[in-house]
Amino acid sequence: MTSLKRNLAAVLALILLVWVSFLAVSYVISVTVFYTLEHYPRDIVLSVLRVVIGLSIAGAWIIGWYALTKIWLYKVLLK
Amino acid sequence: MLEVLAAFLAALLSTPIAIRIGKALKIEGVDVHKPWRPRVPKTGGLALIAGSSLAILIYIVGSHGDSAAAALLISSLIAASIGLVEDVREEIDPRLKPLLLILAALPILFLGTFTPRPVIPFLGRSRLYKVYPVMILLAYPIVCNAVNSLDVLNGSMIATSAPFFAMSAVIFYLRGDYPSMIFSLIMLASLLAILPYNRYPAKVFLGNSGSLFTGAAMASIAIIGRIEIAAIITLLPQIMNEMHVIFSLGGIKSAKQAKSRPVEIENGKLKASRDKSAPITLLRMLCAEVLVDERQAVRAMAFLASFTALLGLITDLVFVEGFL
Repeated sequence: MTSLKRNLAAVLALILLVWVSFLAVSYVISVTVFYTLEHYPRDIVLSVLRVVIGLSIAGAWIIGWYALTKIWLYKVLLK
Repeated sequence: MLEVLAAFLAALLSTPIAIRIGKALKIEGVDVHKPWRPRVPKTGGLALIAGSSLAILIYIVGSHGDSAAAALLISSLIAASIGLVEDVREEIDPRLKPLLLILAALPILFLGTFTPRPVIPFLGRSRLYKVYPVMILLAYPIVCNAVNSLDVLNGSMIATSAPFFAMSAVIFYLRGDYPSMIFSLIMLASLLAILPYNRYPAKVFLGNSGSLFTGAAMASIAIIGRIEIAAIITLLPQIMNEMHVIFSLGGIKSAKQAKSRPVEIENGKLKASRDKSAPITLLRMLCAEVLVDERQAVRAMAFLASFTALLGLITDLVFVEGFL
């Protein structure tokens, strides 16, 4: 039975997932991108690698969030 | 706390005046979710601005020129003036608007009312002397547009913004940061004073001036009061809504450019569009496969915002407060 409560519960579950993943991603960005930009470590290769890894994870998180929302909407809610 | 009372009374008393101004100057918008499509003045933001600004000015005078309060006021007024131009004239180019909203970040930067040492969960206090100012510049366009994007139903902007100010007031109270708590309560009082006029069936819309003013106040309070992480989490519904609209429209575009509306009206109730070209919005998700009354939808959005405010509060208490 489709209802507003079911939809609300589904969105709450999605937001819970986003909250947990945000905590992890904010940590990763801090120790990779922010650390490199603030402290200019001497090893350039390692610095570039840190920034690339950090930005890749942040980008993947945003794309994953959007993909998850699309699945939530089209495969679960509008099924 | 005199400021909070002043904010409430000034906003409450100036709303009927704002409605009259809107009607007289024909600054009106169509309430598209009503079958009879009434024209509603979109000048409620003026009452919000009047109430909050008066209260913050009282605080500035009482505190002999508190720079944080001045930064909060000027930032919010800059954002509100951009919104007012849109309300009175026409929508600003959606690609230009974020650039204009960066101007709202300048008072905080020039008055130096920020601490570039945010506490990051699992990491503790960081030192972001170079990155933090850039993040401030980005924060205003993101938050202002995100708050604006949820101003879609009668009372929805107030219902989704009030939990932010309640959450921040609780954190500031527990921390003993009373100036920041007063800022949050001023905004909360102003919003609640206008709610009787903005809730279903709305006698006035807050307009872009109201939503951008609120968004800038949120960003300013988060920066001044050092609740950055809690603020981001509390604003997840707004950020999610705005981000998904941008992604589903394929760039920063006006919602009017969308081929199909996210929500349709059926028997006076809201129903999510099944059209895959329609923007993905929070309201569309809530209305999927069910006819929803506008008031029910606003209550659901308020519940979501309260839930994320609680998550923000928990995050702050568990991961942040011990490191400040």
